[in-house]
Amino acid sequence: MADPEIETSHVEEFVEQLRCVTDTLPSRINIDAQSVEQGLAKLVLTLIEFIRRLLEKQAVRRMEGGDLSPEQIEELGLALMKLEAKLQELKVQFGLADEDLNLDLGPIGRLI
Amino acid sequence: MAARPPNMKLYSYCMVEELNSVDTQIRGISDAPVRLLNVDDLGVLVSDSPSDTVPITRDNAFAHAAVIRSVLDRTTPLPFRFGTLVTEQQLTSYISSRKPALQTNFAAVRNCVEMSVKIIWQLPMAQAPDTQPLTQGVGTTFLAQKRRELAGDERRSAQAEEIATWLKETVTGLTRDERVTVRPAQKLVLSAAHLVERPAVPEYREKLATARQARPELHFLLSGPWPPYSFANIELEFKTQFGVS
Repeated sequence: MADPEIETSHVEEFVEQLRCVTDTLPSRINIDAQSVEQGLAKLVLTLIEFIRRLLEKQAVRRMEGGDLSPEQIEELGLALMKLEAKLQELKVQFGLADEDLNLDLGPIGRLI
Repeated sequence: MAARPPNMKLYSYCMVEELNSVDTQIRGISDAPVRLLNVDDLGVLVSDSPSDTVPITRDNAFAHAAVIRSVLDRTTPLPFRFGTLVTEQQLTSYISSRKPALQTNFAAVRNCVEMSVKIIWQLPMAQAPDTQPLTQGVGTTFLAQKRRELAGDERRSAQAEEIATWLKETVTGLTRDERVTVRPAQKLVLSAAHLVERPAVPEYREKLATARQARPELHFLLSGPWPPYSFANIELEFKTQFGVS
């Protein structure tokens, strides 16, 4: 059996993309108070973000279904907008970026 | 030669069947010699580890892969995850107690290699915003925007699934098993690992080479043959012992 071959006409593009993937993996584990606090915040905010997106989807489905009055749509939209803004505020507070709010669930992929 | 202490850890690279010897030139983690440990009719490629952890370094990662790769010409190994350190007693007990499951794993990958396909696409453009009535409130505008974003996500998911289906059909009949990850929100939209029987590898390559011509909008990376890393199913049995530096 021959040595493994790598065939592509777009080496740089794949290197860049694969580097993005490896950059999301922790190269070392820091067990100090600050990183534990941030790790906990990351986990909690990821779950909140996941639920927030579910709520958004549900709101859009109900809007499309026509079972909401214009006033209810406006109210729901405002509530979700405030929730998004609050989450953004918390992300900044804990030094987290959008791409940090995710969980790798192994073989079944990523949470978000 | 001094006797090894009974609790000395063994760095475990992979399990093998029908193999009587290893290449004596091959060096493992930390340049350690690699030997074949026979347990209950199965073999394990191991090297002695003076340490309880394995530093994650480029050299160690390459050494781990090189040892597994060194037997691929002669047999299809079941690779352990990088950093698997166990005592000989733990290894023996593991193999003895899981032998039927391990034999099933071997049967699943026997005479096969792993081929990898990665695909990059140009993310489909977002839909232009609709013209909003002037009387529409902030909350309603927000929800309308979310509606457009969701429609875009669903469109991207459908397009990504179409690529996955196309790839599956392309290699139909040439693969024994596959692991496919589709990420519609990413440029690297698809990563597939195909378990291909050795005699079918040339035809597999040929099929993909032809198929790629039909999809110039997609960028491909095809690699292999590799040991069946994605199909071994033994990587979670032991805790890995990474070094923290």
